[in-house]
Amino acid sequence: MRILKSWRYPASWNIFRLDDRLLLILMAAIVGNCSGLAAVILNRSLVAMFEWLHHLRHYWWVFVLPAVGAALSSLFLDKIVKEGAGHGVPEVIYSVSRYGGLLRFRSSFSRLISSCLTIGSGGSAGPEAPVVISGASIGSNIAKFFSLNDRQRVTLVGCGAAGAISSIFNAPIAGMVFAIEVIIGEWKSVNIVPIAIASVAGTEVSRILQGNQIAFSHRLFSIDLIDIIACLGLAILTAAASILLTRMLRSMHEISGRISAPVWLRAAAGGCAVGIIGIFLPVVLGEGYHSVRIMIEGAFSQGLVIVALAALAKIVATSLTLGSGGSGGIFAPCLVIGSLLGLTYHHSLVLLWPSVSWVNEGCFALLGMAGLISGMLQAPLTGIFLIVEITGGYEVILPLIIVSAISTTLCHYIEPASYYLKDLVELGHLLRPGTDARVLSDLNVPEILERDCITVNQNMLLRDFINIVKKSHRNYFPVENEETGDFMGIIHLDDIRPYLFNPIMYDAVVLGQIMDTKVEVVHPDDDLSEVLRRMDANRLFSMPVVINNRFIGLISKATLLDQYRKELMVQTSH
Amino acid sequence: MKLTINEVAQCLHLPLSTVDRWIRQGRIPIQRSGNDYIFNESALEKWAESYNLMFSLPQKVKAQQQEARLENLLPAMKRGGLYHDLKGDNVEAVLGAAIENLHVLSNSSKEKLFEKLLERENLTSTGIGKGVAIPHPHDPMSDALENPLIATCFLEKPIDFGAVDDKPVFIMFILLSQSIKIHLHLLSRLSFCVRDNSFVEFLKTSPDSAAFFSKVADFEKQLDRADNY
Repeated sequence: MRILKSWRYPASWNIFRLDDRLLLILMAAIVGNCSGLAAVILNRSLVAMFEWLHHLRHYWWVFVLPAVGAALSSLFLDKIVKEGAGHGVPEVIYSVSRYGGLLRFRSSFSRLISSCLTIGSGGSAGPEAPVVISGASIGSNIAKFFSLNDRQRVTLVGCGAAGAISSIFNAPIAGMVFAIEVIIGEWKSVNIVPIAIASVAGTEVSRILQGNQIAFSHRLFSIDLIDIIACLGLAILTAAASILLTRMLRSMHEISGRISAPVWLRAAAGGCAVGIIGIFLPVVLGEGYHSVRIMIEGAFSQGLVIVALAALAKIVATSLTLGSGGSGGIFAPCLVIGSLLGLTYHHSLVLLWPSVSWVNEGCFALLGMAGLISGMLQAPLTGIFLIVEITGGYEVILPLIIVSAISTTLCHYIEPASYYLKDLVELGHLLRPGTDARVLSDLNVPEILERDCITVNQNMLLRDFINIVKKSHRNYFPVENEETGDFMGIIHLDDIRPYLFNPIMYDAVVLGQIMDTKVEVVHPDDDLSEVLRRMDANRLFSMPVVINNRFIGLISKATLLDQYRKELMVQTSH
Repeated sequence: MKLTINEVAQCLHLPLSTVDRWIRQGRIPIQRSGNDYIFNESALEKWAESYNLMFSLPQKVKAQQQEARLENLLPAMKRGGLYHDLKGDNVEAVLGAAIENLHVLSNSSKEKLFEKLLERENLTSTGIGKGVAIPHPHDPMSDALENPLIATCFLEKPIDFGAVDDKPVFIMFILLSQSIKIHLHLLSRLSFCVRDNSFVEFLKTSPDSAAFFSKVADFEKQLDRADNY
């Protein structure tokens, strides 16, 4: 009976009690399987949706299809599951840093359905961000079910994200690196091992159900020094495109936010615009894996102008879809835009120097993808490993690293925060482990409250007060109203130091006269970084904490430093 | 020994809310099941060591607090004793005569004390005025004594002590203590009594020990009242 009862509390089993690494590995395998499965389900339903809607492609009104899909998807998100639109990765990152990875259970399926509607109907977005959220939410809820603590839950959220990415791309290392580099932001073996296990589990699920296929396989490229030099230009081009896409997405989001139409109508308008672009350039529709495959094989037969236009159109279409309230990620659009840019670059090279024997255009398409992914996410390792794994092209690793590194650096130079982190940084919500912001956000006012202050009242004589000073260890004395107990002000020992040794003053002064009534007070719910900022601005070392006019205690920089240091030690060592 | 979660927080010198949060966040090797906390004390100690956190049992803290509790005048005075009609014409002679009476001290420490008291008198006189002197060594006698003592010595005839107000001294309180803190504490209480003129007048009557101790007890009560106000 006891065993039956305790199966939900694996943390208290004897084998897991002393060290939770084994427990995390076991849980990571479960989470990896589940999130891998979610990714496969989304992939399959997208394929099914595509086939089901395929026969409608001949009609003239086909451009409304993305509109209907986007409207349905935003209605579903807004009315049924009540979740925000967009790709949702920032929410996962924020939850990981602030709430110990707590995510709602409904997040594990809501984005799958909404992105399926958006992308399946032709919206320009990717299925990766939705599966990342599903995976993360699955991990979080499995951790909750087994009553694991915050640190373990965060690791499992990372496992979920890793399993999902690994499964959808059949790319275990990319999943692992993405989870650590983007979602968790902390390279520690306690995280890396379970996440690696989850990546393996996710990949294996996808291989069993869909077969072990490399998404974009290609012929062997032979790369010369001249190609490596040429890829510097491609890196600059992709960096520019990344910044353009980031800015477009954000401004489209702002524009659509200003329109006072219902969300579904906004989404429909965006989808409609995408549909119209799609009539002329069908490459922009959907997640676009098919076109990427063609481009890498070198079989994309359009000319320079069309390709360049298509790249621009894809950027616009993606901003329209996601900015107007459609649901999906930027991974797949990045791949499409990147490969289109690669082709553009290759065509221009051929045009400028026709005598040089350039490497196959597929290689540039591949490098373009890496450049765009690295630039958008500002996560060079994710870009490098993802492209190597989804193309199976280890021979391009040298130019790949160069393009990724340069693109990331340039983007970081112009836009210091990546697309995923930009909103968080602007709200001050980016709390990576081991940073000052994180330590301060984990501490709170009640934890550093000092309650051993002696309170006095406003009618007390200085003589009586001096007797109190004798016994006190502190320099601050809060003054409370004698009748109501309300906080009135504070007396600092420095204020009365000149009169301390003047006995004539002892019976002539009451505390009400000498107290400081214009004091900065703190509320227990106040943010410590804000409190510290006020302390610095007013050159204070202590501030009284007051709720509903009642004095609760004092906070001081000395105690804060003491606690801050302990917190930092516990958070960062190992 | 089994610690409660409250004691763990005390050992770590942290508020309970921080420990609670660390448990929730999984930063400390304590598990929570329902209202119970499961932890291994030695593992916890090892954990604290690996993070450079202080971990000391609350018993030790209590012991330190007991040591810090200060004694009042009366027990120290009773330990030191009351002596009448001490003979001598100068500071050296009366101090020597007074030390002879202190039976708690061994002979060697008596000699040492005598030297130390003279040394202190040479620095500045301990005559604090109104005919009262409080001779004491410059440094506390941490090795010769277990408890502080005050020897109350009425002199046969007032002698010149080089006091601040140049009045001849008729009574000495020899104050011996094992730490500066106790010394200051006793000196402050003693000077509170001596500051009062009625107490000095009372001393001039050369009272017997019973009357003297009850008077001191009265003054100590006043002192406590003023302190606890």
